[in-house]
Formats: sequence, C-alpha cells, structure tokens
Amino acid sequence: MPHQERRFNPYTENGGTILAIAGEDFTVIAGDTRQSEGYNIQTRYAPKVFRLTDKAVLAVNGFAADGNMFVQKVQQRLEWYAHAHNKPMPLKAIARLIQTMLYAKRFFPYYVYNILGGIEEDGSGAVYSFDPVGSYEREACRAAGAAQSLVQPFLDNQIYFKNQLPPPGGAHPRHLPLNDVLSLVIDSFTGATERHIEVGDGLEIYIVLAPNKSSVELERLPGVKRIQGTFDIAGDASPDVTAAAAAVGVTGEKMFVMRRELKKD
Amino acid sequence: MSIMEYNGGSVVAMVGKNCVAIASDLRLGNQALTIATNFEKVFPVTDRIMLGMAGLASDVLTLRDRFRLLVNMYTIKEEREIEPETFAHLVSSTLYEKRFGPYFIEPIIAGLSKGSNKPFIASTDVIGCINFAKGFVVCGTATDKLFGVAESLWEPDLEPEDLFETISQTLMNAVDRDAFSGWGVVVHVITPEKAFTRYLRARMD
Amino acid sequence: MEVSFALTGKDYVIIAADQNAARSIIKMKGDEDKIKALGSHLLMAYSGEPGDTIQFAEYVERNLRLQQMRNNHPLRPQAAASWVRRSIADSLRSRNSYSVNILLGGYDMAENTPKLYWMDYLGTQSDVPYAAHGYGSYFALSLLDREVQKRLVISFPSFRVKVVDAEGVREVDVDMSV
Repeated sequence: MPHQERRFNPYTENGGTILAIAGEDFTVIAGDTRQSEGYNIQTRYAPKVFRLTDKAVLAVNGFAADGNMFVQKVQQRLEWYAHAHNKPMPLKAIARLIQTMLYAKRFFPYYVYNILGGIEEDGSGAVYSFDPVGSYEREACRAAGAAQSLVQPFLDNQIYFKNQLPPPGGAHPRHLPLNDVLSLVIDSFTGATERHIEVGDGLEIYIVLAPNKSSVELERLPGVKRIQGTFDIAGDASPDVTAAAAAVGVTGEKMFVMRRELKKD
Repeated sequence: MSIMEYNGGSVVAMVGKNCVAIASDLRLGNQALTIATNFEKVFPVTDRIMLGMAGLASDVLTLRDRFRLLVNMYTIKEEREIEPETFAHLVSSTLYEKRFGPYFIEPIIAGLSKGSNKPFIASTDVIGCINFAKGFVVCGTATDKLFGVAESLWEPDLEPEDLFETISQTLMNAVDRDAFSGWGVVVHVITPEKAFTRYLRARMD
Repeated sequence: MEVSFALTGKDYVIIAADQNAARSIIKMKGDEDKIKALGSHLLMAYSGEPGDTIQFAEYVERNLRLQQMRNNHPLRPQAAASWVRRSIADSLRSRNSYSVNILLGGYDMAENTPKLYWMDYLGTQSDVPYAAHGYGSYFALSLLDREVQKRLVISFPSFRVKVVDAEGVREVDVDMSV
C-alpha cells in the first residue's frame, strides 16, 4: 500500500460577490452579505464591505477569515498612520499599502480579492482592484468574486458602453450620474442572485461623495443611512474652519450606506 | 482538457413578442489556436425552427447532418412540417440514444409554432434532458457570462428589432470576456412574416 | 512532427507537405509523398499516426474512385469533403479510430472556384482560405511568408508541392535553397 499523506488545507472559499464603480465625484462600493461554504449557508449577514477612512472603503471577497484578518490589519496600519501624521492616509497611498501588505505574504497569500473605492485627493471618484498577491490597477469599475463572470461583461456594456455606438456626432459619457450607477449596481446583484447560488440574502452599498457634492437627492432614497465621519464639517462651515480642517486632511467627504434585500433561495 | 471546451464557441436564444432570436459566435479553435472564424453553430431546421449547438465541433457537424436526415424523414412520413416542441423531443431522444457514450454538444432550439405563432425556445444537456425556459437559454464556453448579461438585459415582450439588439448585445459582451468564443457573431430572428440573419462586426480578438 | 500547408488563390489551390517518414528519432525516408490526387481536380494532404494515414488515404482514394465509376462523375470538393469528414467522425467512435489530419483541396469545375477544407482526426471540418496542420499551423497566418522557413524549429529540408486548378492536378518543383 502506497503511503497516503493527509494534509491540512488552510484555505476555503466563502462565495459572495463584490463590485465597485467610480463616478466623477463619487464612488459606489457594494457587496452581498451571504457567506457560504459549499452548499451550506453559514450566515445571511456577513459584511464584506468596510469603511477604512472618511473617504476610503474596502471590499474583500474570497476566503472570509483571511478577508476579515486583512481588513483588521489594514485598519491598524491606517490608525498608526493617522497617529504618526495627524491626518488620514490618502486613497492612492492606501492602495499602495494594500499592495505591499498582500505581496508580503506572496508565498502564503491572503486568499482574498480586494476592491478599494473612495475619493482621491483631487476629489475624483476612484476604484482600485487587486489580485490576492497585490497586483493592482485603478479602474472605473470592477466586479470580483463568485459572480464576477456574470457581472463584469454587463458592466463592460453599461459602464464602458462596450459594443455600443456613440450617438451621432457625440461620444459616450465618461462618467454616469449617481442614480444610474446605483440602479446598475442593484440590477447587477439581482441578476447575479437569480443565477448564482452563492449570491443573495442582502446587499450593502457604500456611497462616498466628494466634498462639494450634494447629498440631498441621495438621502431621499429609501434605506440610505449617513455614516458619520471622524471629523465632521457642516456643509455651511466658515472658510476658516474648512481651511483648518483641510490642513489636517479632513476635506469633508460624505459617506452613506444603502441596504437592500436580495432573494434568499 | 475538457472536450466541451476543446473547440470553443457559444450559443444563445431569446423569446420576444411573437418572435424568437438565436445567435452564435463564429470561432472554431483547437484549444488556444484559432483555426477558422467562419464556423456558424446555428442551422435552419425548417423555415421557422433553428437549431444551435455548442461543444465538440465534429459532433456539431455530425448532428447537423443527422437532424437534417431525421427531419426530412419526419416530413415525408407525416406529410407536414415538424413543430418546435416536437423537434425538441426529437433532439432529446437522439441525444439520449447515446446515453453512455454521448455526443459532446449542448443544443438550443428556437422556433415559432405553426398555427399559433407561439414562440418556443429550449435547451438540453449532452444526454438530452430538456430545459423549457421562458425567456432565454444559453450554452457554450461563455455560459456563465451569457447568463449574467442576459439576466440583466432581457425583458418580456420585446419587438423583433429590440429583441435583435438585446440578443446581439448579450452575445457580444459575453464573448468579449471569453477567450474561447468570439471572432464575430451571427444573429437570426424569426417572426411570423419573415426570418432575417445578420452578421455583426464585433471585436476580432 | 509533420507539417502540411495549403492555400487558395483566385483560381487554384496549392498544397504542400513535408516528405519525412520518421519513427521517433530515426528518419526512415526523406522522399515520402503525403499528398494524394483523389481525382482529376482533388488533392488530399494527410498526416498523423503512421499506418493510419496511408491506410485511410487509400481507403478514401478507392472509395472516391468507386463513386466516380458508379456515377460516371467525380464528387465535387464539397461532397468529397463531407464524405471524408463523415468517415473520420464515424471511425472516431469505433474501436479503432483513424488518427489522421487532412487538408482537402480541390477545384470545383461546376462553380469554377477553388475549395479548401481543413479536417482533423476528430472529424472537425472547416471551409477555409488557407490552412495548416502540425506545428506549422502556429505559423498559418504567415503562410508563404519566408519567415516560416527561418522561424520554424523543425526545419524540413524539402517539401512536395502540388497545385490543382481548372487544368487539373500537377506537381511543381520548389527550390528550397532560397
């Protein structure tokens, strides 16, 4: 009898899907809340999208234990940074930090696909997507996880207008308005829920608005909740207050979370 | 190496208001090597029924010929055209005949029934288990992508031209994310009055 | 380690195949003809499992000849291709299948058009303007480009080249020293 070695497998897949879309002055980062292993649903509410700073949100998908651990480690590094520099870390710096943290474990990786979304220092919406070992890229939109193959071609069509002709004499819009983006996100997830068994239960959408973007319309939508920032500046703050806040990296981005039910079968 | 992915290719069919559409890509490959870019996977069965097949190209051709024979024999014996639903069962039993050494294709049937002009679509697995879907059916190497896009783009009761646009966009955007499908697409739309075929300029890579 | 190429022009098909007969590392023969004339206007280049190739090629040759004698008319390229493909496809699901890859080129005297069919041992068939089998197929798009000779890892010393057009089948000499 040949000797058979049994080895502990440190990884598993926990299903679910995440998605992020950048607008001109906002970013939307979303994920479903189902967590499963094989055909077994472990929980119907396990968040995959996390607030990092007042203007950065991280979505993690893949092996949930690695994902949660990784988010904690990133949050710890961001806290150290804030204490050392007395300002929150800029988005593009967080992206590079995530790369180094992932690559540091190149030969025992975090089995996680990351999508980082938020507002850049110039006020533009940004999405950074990563592979498990840290290759990353700034994009306008990205889907990852179990239903990536279902959602990404739909996004190619609706966000990048792939295979669509521009209107006569015109061009395709470079960025879509917030309402259109929210509709596309909800459609993507209802579609993925319909056809993929690992997607469903709940949908959690984070919305980050650039400093000068009005939130009146957004706050009127059902199920939208404001997430208070670390330092909050009122919209009507005096120029002095705004300038002083800006000096310590507080620029007045607003963050919201929107929750929707998805099918549970 | 999976036999079902050896040659690549994808097919999709959709139901509209008193019409159906069926479309395929045009690539024929040997794994990663593209052999031809004119390989259609949808074939006419009658004036109002079409059959699409994705999978092993050899079996696609063999079954195309076999179904031509079987439908001709049916037409002669019954002295009438075959109905889409009957044809779906013919496909099913032909595939199940080879239950323990199957043809490596997944077929899609699309057509209008003779009297009522009722649109009909169906697909089966490799051994002929029929799936009578309501809205759309897909098969091939871009199956999951097709499901994702079709689920979001398709809606009930589309007029022929709108159905054409929907199925075209669904197939093109799905195959653009699939390395084994693409190199152009062909779309067929069948209405009670007429049937038309269009070859679309798509990404050629 | 065999290669065969074919392409169609305005009113002809040209087919080339290497001339090696080798068993693993030993080269048995350097003047093997791997292109059969299946009629006055039909050529078939065959490659694959040694033994199967010749057996199958002769089987095809004799059957097409029989068709011609019975009907007093040769099969057109399209019909011949269908028959050959079907023979391969049927054999694939038999106990002993033929492992033969084929390029079938012919001149259709009814339509006055050249025709070329690419077929593999699985019974896959494709109507193409140019084609290749073997490692040479990875260079198919640069066919007839002299780069083929330079870049191909296994560079064959000689090729047998045959043309079929309205005049019928004929062989052409190619100077490989260029």
